[in-house]
Order: sequence, then structure tokens, then C-alpha cells
Amino acid sequence: MAETAEQARAVALRLARARRRRHWGEVAAGYALVSPAILYILVLVAYPFFLALYFSLSNVTVAGGYGGFVGLANYLSIIHNSVFIKALENSLSFTFFAEIGKAVLGIGLAFLLLQTLRGKKIIRGFLLIPFTMPLPLALLGWKWMYDPQFSVINRVFGDMLHIMHHPYPVWLGDPIFSWFAILIVNIWRGFPFAGVIVLAGLTSIPKDILDAAKVDGAGFFRTWHFIIVPLIAPILFIGLIYDVTFTLGDITVVNILTSGGPNNATEILPQLAYQNGIVGGNLASGAADALILFPLLLAGLILFLRMLFRRTTVEE
Amino acid sequence: MSATVAAVGVERPVRRRLGGRRLRNRALLYLALAFYLVVACFPVYYMLMSTLKADYDLIDPTVNPLWFKRPLGLEHFQQLFSQTGFSIWAANTAVVAGCVLGITLAVCIPGGYALARLRVPGGQHMAIGIFLTYLIPPILLFIPLNQLITNVFNLGNTRWALVVAYPTFTIPFCLWLMMGFFKRVPREIEEAALVDGCNRWQAVRHVVLPVSVPGIITAGVFAFTLSMQDFIYALVMVSSSAQQVINIAVPTELIRGDVYFWGELLAAALLPGVIIAFIYNFFLDYFVQGITGGIGR
Repeated sequence: MAETAEQARAVALRLARARRRRHWGEVAAGYALVSPAILYILVLVAYPFFLALYFSLSNVTVAGGYGGFVGLANYLSIIHNSVFIKALENSLSFTFFAEIGKAVLGIGLAFLLLQTLRGKKIIRGFLLIPFTMPLPLALLGWKWMYDPQFSVINRVFGDMLHIMHHPYPVWLGDPIFSWFAILIVNIWRGFPFAGVIVLAGLTSIPKDILDAAKVDGAGFFRTWHFIIVPLIAPILFIGLIYDVTFTLGDITVVNILTSGGPNNATEILPQLAYQNGIVGGNLASGAADALILFPLLLAGLILFLRMLFRRTTVEE
Repeated sequence: MSATVAAVGVERPVRRRLGGRRLRNRALLYLALAFYLVVACFPVYYMLMSTLKADYDLIDPTVNPLWFKRPLGLEHFQQLFSQTGFSIWAANTAVVAGCVLGITLAVCIPGGYALARLRVPGGQHMAIGIFLTYLIPPILLFIPLNQLITNVFNLGNTRWALVVAYPTFTIPFCLWLMMGFFKRVPREIEEAALVDGCNRWQAVRHVVLPVSVPGIITAGVFAFTLSMQDFIYALVMVSSSAQQVINIAVPTELIRGDVYFWGELLAAALLPGVIIAFIYNFFLDYFVQGITGGIGR
């Protein structure tokens, strides 16, 4: 008995001594191990980001090397450009309406995935295809579905179901239909993610809380509004920030389907930044086009941080 | 006594009515499921049908677009490999994704371990800072990053440009993921190894790493699949056909002028697309955990 107690004390002593000895070594090792990640981020994310800021305040072009500092001139000139205004409008409206569409479809999907279904894993796999399939590749399918001559949408709803009538829309060639075409693809691509996020929230709610609500006679909408939403708000919020960031910054859908056309009807800021900065070689103006998005994204980042810290303080 | 009789008498119709309602709920459920399946899968079904169809079936107005008339076949897949650069692009994609995976793991395993386990002053802030960079979309970075990679690293217009660029979004995500995994390894088993005479490195190598293999595999899968979701960097940085990856080569190189070879095009999109979707799906739960930063737990 005494022997084991003594042994235990000896072990504890050795551990404590080892810990003390390790302390400074541990700090050094810790920094050494994190440094590659920090270095990568500093050189290839932070530095380019400040470079973008600098570009947007200078008159640098691909041909002219690093030009001089021009202050806010680039921003002042782009906000007087009607194409830029159209692009800003579209970026915001696509994101806004796409988020609503994704939320509606996503909440439905989450409740569907909450049910007991046979072969749920496989069904879930199929339901998540829009999100898991690489977007540039899925977009080729959409481009073919929107084909001016052979659009399957027109053939099914027009020729087969007779809901649509001649002349059928040229989906990607008409200013109004192309806007909706882009919106539809955005929603299609994003709703499974919304569903998965809502589902992650729903499954994190303790079942007894829901049972208590039921016992107290709360109906579905009361439970949803007063119990479920407040409880899963942090998760929904983070999912939303993440999704807004990527919808706002995504060039793929517009670039592959319309390149911003017809007549700038679907022009968005990322596409404009690409056109001006890379195709046109005007780095300064391209950087300014993209960085206009930054204040919006920054607001998202700050909200995200507040969320994170509020949670840690509550826990402590 | 009379109460039980009454209860029995009441219970039956109630149960039957519930049964009817259950049936109706079940029917509604399957209706909703069918709706979602059609919405989610129709484009993929239509791609598959269109690529298996004979070319003439695609433009023949008497053919039902959802079905076929002439026999189905795999010619478009064969043409893809024999007449286009698809195998080169697939190889480039594999090389890029493989290198990105290697770099990401080499950076994130030690980094994640240090942030989760070692007393690194300011470590929590570093972790949050790194995660926040994941919320800076590539669209803010592509112009200067392209300049940097072309002029400073001298990798312009090669697939190596993408190997350098993609870790900018795989590292933040995978580092966060690895950190979560290492935090869940019980501290006790590591300390037991230390007491038994291992030094820190041996304890990590023989005890912590073997336990973390599932986490490492998950991080690797994400590094791989996330680098296959990119479009903008590939569009901007690599223009020569021989160096391109699938995501950019298929939408640009397979269209010659204004002519779309839809059969081949859709085959080229479908083949890698479905494979990636399949792998991704297996690990999706971890993706959600990574995004929400474990906030839901």
C-alpha cells in the first residue's frame, strides 16, 4: 500500500519536473511547428491582400510595372461607370435572393433528413450532389440545359407539358431570363449546404427541450420560432456568413454561363474584376472592382468573431 | 372500472385516426423526398443521358429529351480519351491535387498539434486568425497572387502555380480541422507514454499520430477535394492547354470556336464530377464541423 503511494508520488514528481524542464523548450517547439502555416498565410494571403489594396490605390497595369500612387482615383472612376453599378447591383441582388431561396429549400431539406428513412445515407448522397460535385463541371450540364436551341427546360415544360408557349425563352440570351438562369443555378448549388447546416443545428438541440415544449402544448411554429431558431442561431449564422462570402465572391457561375452578358445583364463584380484586371490588364482597376466587396465581407468577419468570443465567454 | 372501459373505448378510434394521419404524413414525406431528388439530381441525370445518347439523338426533335431512341453507348467516353487532351488534364489535376495534399498535411499536422497541445503564447489568436483567412474569398486575392506567382516565383502558366496557390485555402481549413482532432485525443495517453520514458517526439510518433490517423485522412481528403472545387485561380494562372487542370480545361478547351461537342463535353464533366462528389460525400460531416468551428458542439 505504502509502496504504491510512494510510487505514485515519484511518478507525479517526475512528471512535474519534466513539465517544468519542457516549458521553454515547449514554447520554442510550438512556434517552430506553427511557423510554416503562419508563414504560408503571411506570404500568400496577407501580403497579396495588402498588395491588392495598394494596387487599387495606384495606376499599375500589366504592361507598366508598378505605377504611382493615385489615392482613391480608381474607386472614384469606377463608381461613375454604369457597368460597375450594374455589377454591384447584380452581385448584391443575386446573393440576397439566392440566400432566401437556399434558406427555404434548405430548411425543408433539413427536416426531410431528420426523418427516419430507409437507405438514408444513399439518399443524402444524392441530395447533396449539387454541393459536392465540382461547380465548373456541374455548370456544363446547366449550360446544356439552357441551350438556345435544345433547352431541355423548354422541351419539357413547352413541348411535353404545354405549360410554356412559343416563343420559348432563350435562357442565356435574354436579359431577364439570363438573370433568373444565374439565380436558379446559385440556389441549386447552395441549398444542400444550407440544409446540412440547419440539420447540424437541429441535431444539436437536446431532445428533452423539444419534449418539454410539446408537453407545454407548443405547436410546430411556436416551437420553431421560440425554441429551435434561438438555439441554432449561432450555427445558422456562421453558415450564412460562410455562404454569403462565397456567393458574393464566386465568378464560376457567371463566367461559364454568360460571361456577364447579354449586354451586361448578368455582370457581377468578380467577373468585372477579371475582365478589367486580367483580360484588360488594368490591375489597378480590377483590384478596385474586387475590393469594393471587402467592407461587406469585413462586416461578416466581425460578426463571426463576436459570435466566437461571446460563446467562449459564456462557456467560461 | 367504468373509466378503463371508457379509456379502451376511446383509444381505438384515436389510434385509427392516428394511423390515417401517419399514412398521410408518410405520403407527404415521400412526395417531398421525390421533389428534392428531382431538383438535386435532374441536371446530373440529364448529363448522363445526353452523354450516353447517340449524337443524332441530341438534336432530333422527335426524340424525348429525357429518354433515347437510338441505342445508348460509351463512344463519347472513348472519344474523350482518344481524341482530346482529357487524360493529360486528368493527370495534371491528380498531380496538382496530390501536391496540394502533401503540402497541406506537412504544414497542418505539426501546426495543428502545436496549437492544440503545446503552450504557445498567443496560440488561440493565431488559430482564429488563420481560420478567418478562410473567409477571404479568392476573388480578393487573385490579381496580386497571380502577379506574385508569375513574377516572383516564376511559375506563371504552369500547373505548379496552382500547387502554390491552392494551399492558401486548404491550409486554413485543414489546420482548424487537425486542431480539432488533436484536441480530442486524450491527454492521458500521451502523458502515460512520457512517464514510460518516451520523449515528446516519440510520444507523438508512437501514440498520438497513430490515434489521429482518421483525422489525418479526413484533412487529406479535404485538401484534395477542395483543390478540385477551384475555378478562378486555374482560369487566371494557367492558359496553356498542356498544363491545365480538368476544371478549366473542360469548359474552355473542349469548345472549339462556337461549336459545342456536347457528348464529349458532358462525359468529361460527369466522370470526374461524380467521382469527387462521391468521395466528398463520405466526409461531409467533418466539413460541416470544420465550417462551424465546432460551435455547434
